Amino acid sequence: MSREPVAGIRLRRSLRSGRVLVGGGIVLLVLFAALFAPWLAPHDPGEQDLLANLLPPAFLAGGDTAHLLGTDSLGRDILSRLIYGARVAMVVAIFAAFFAMLLGGAMALIAGYFGGRIDWLISRAVDAWMSFPPVILSVILMVGLGVGLFKVVLAIVLVDWTRFCRVVRSEVLVVVSKDYIAAARLVGFTDRQVILREVLPAVLPLMITLLSLEMGIAVIVEAILSFVGLSVGANIPAWGVMIADARNYMYQSTWSLILPVLAIFITVLGFNLLGDGLRRTLDPRLLQDRRVEA
Amino acid sequence: MVATILRIIFRRLLVAVPMMLVVSMMIFVVLRLLPADPLAMSLPPNATTAEAEAMRAALGLDRPVAEQYLIWLGHLLQGDLGRSIQFRQSVSSLIATTLPATIELVISALVTGIALGIAGGLVMFHVRGTRKEPMADLASTVLMSIPEFLWAIFLILGFGVALDLLPFIGRIAPDYTVVRRSGFLLLDTLLAGQLAAFLDALTHMILPTLALALALAPLIMRVLRSSLLETILEDYITMARLRGLSERRILIWHALKNAALPTLSLIGVQAGFLFGGTLLVEVIYSYPGLGNMMVEAVRNQDLPIVQGVALTYCLVVLLLNAMVDIAYLVLNPRLRPQ
Repeated sequence: MSREPVAGIRLRRSLRSGRVLVGGGIVLLVLFAALFAPWLAPHDPGEQDLLANLLPPAFLAGGDTAHLLGTDSLGRDILSRLIYGARVAMVVAIFAAFFAMLLGGAMALIAGYFGGRIDWLISRAVDAWMSFPPVILSVILMVGLGVGLFKVVLAIVLVDWTRFCRVVRSEVLVVVSKDYIAAARLVGFTDRQVILREVLPAVLPLMITLLSLEMGIAVIVEAILSFVGLSVGANIPAWGVMIADARNYMYQSTWSLILPVLAIFITVLGFNLLGDGLRRTLDPRLLQDRRVEA
Repeated sequence: MVATILRIIFRRLLVAVPMMLVVSMMIFVVLRLLPADPLAMSLPPNATTAEAEAMRAALGLDRPVAEQYLIWLGHLLQGDLGRSIQFRQSVSSLIATTLPATIELVISALVTGIALGIAGGLVMFHVRGTRKEPMADLASTVLMSIPEFLWAIFLILGFGVALDLLPFIGRIAPDYTVVRRSGFLLLDTLLAGQLAAFLDALTHMILPTLALALALAPLIMRVLRSSLLETILEDYITMARLRGLSERRILIWHALKNAALPTLSLIGVQAGFLFGGTLLVEVIYSYPGLGNMMVEAVRNQDLPIVQGVALTYCLVVLLLNAMVDIAYLVLNPRLRPQ
């Protein structure tokens, strides 16, 4: 029995799920904006026009079609800043979530497969890590590391690997107790071969689901950090920075506050819909539950 | 029975001690990575080299990191968290003034969030198998995508700016003077018999409480729904049905009680997240709690405060987790040690 057809069936089933399509669509759209920001943005995101500050969006009274979504307190074009802000959000989402998955997944495989003292040690480390509220730990890390895009990614990886580790480890424990793992050992597979060829593929769907959800979390954490001024430098447009700026002018211009909030919400919703849809189509246990319910 | 429960509590708290040690070590090490020299922040700019050396020795910064940690830990055990650089005041007294505000907010948010979550979970369970189910499912995914700080802003824009219904700055209007007894404003105003001040403090808490509660509720909602779905298949539910009990009575008195356990352990984990979430909500509402103080300290590079507040956060989370675990063990006889 080869694995290819199963993966194919899963993939096709995923693509038929509305959540995966809508969520994936949103994510691709944001990714597109991030990749082609210099071509899509009508203005330079840092370009100030103090004579045209706090303009409402073009479709409202007093709006200017030169600034489709209006301008902020320094007269910078909000649409352009939103498009450039997608870059920070997507870079952080993709890299932080991927490396958190790599680190957390590796730890989980080692802990779950070898058990015993290694498992004890890794599990206790996860417990200690989790007694930090994630926001607090990332704030301390950023204070220690200093600001910058790479450091935000590093901080989120160091905070969130535990989410993967805890969930994947318990899944690994279930897989390791299966007969085919024992069979693989009997056939003479080395530990590394068993882990990479048998255990990893079994927990991969779970990891992919978590990855998508983690990307949403990473977007939120980056926004929180940039809101308190602990993310990228002040001259780089990020959604959290836009919210922090607009908060001081919310009576004069509500839109400059609402728009970045919506950008974060829609992006996170995209990742969550995608993750939720993948979980429904990829998780074999959930499918079994469905059958029981039906 | 009482002896068993006391033993459970004692054992669980014992586990928290080494954890706290590890956590304190982590905080210490991370903050020592700091590129800035902590010395530079605690000296006037025209200090001489000799003065700098004297200060370095006084703060113990000339010794190896491990020794520095032990000195810090020693002081910590005596309740001494050092002195704030910007306020020239002991960090422990600063924490003592701000912690009650945060705890007040966390408690009201937890209670509200749990109530909303249980109500939502029951609604989602109620619509199972009907045409409304996919809608409810989708609504819960949408709700899960709104973190507390986005709620905070939505609520300010809606109820504060647009409708002008509720206050969204600070803990109480500045025209009230409340004698400080416990630091818990709601309690202090009641003790002093200042009803108007109590109501004012209460209205100040509504929006930040809701922001935190609305972020917590969808998670509780989902877990409660799925554990209700599992519980409802159990034999004793069928038995209750055969005894002719109404569906409502079965749901409230039999199913909900048993489905509460997984929900409880989720609340334990989430209480920690919620406590961390207060950081930003406090900043957004200018609410004078721990989070606001920490962000302020970060901006001013006031390391002793950052360190002390981070430690306080972890201590409270560990205690919260221990409390939930204890509640779990007490409520579930099967898990009690024989």
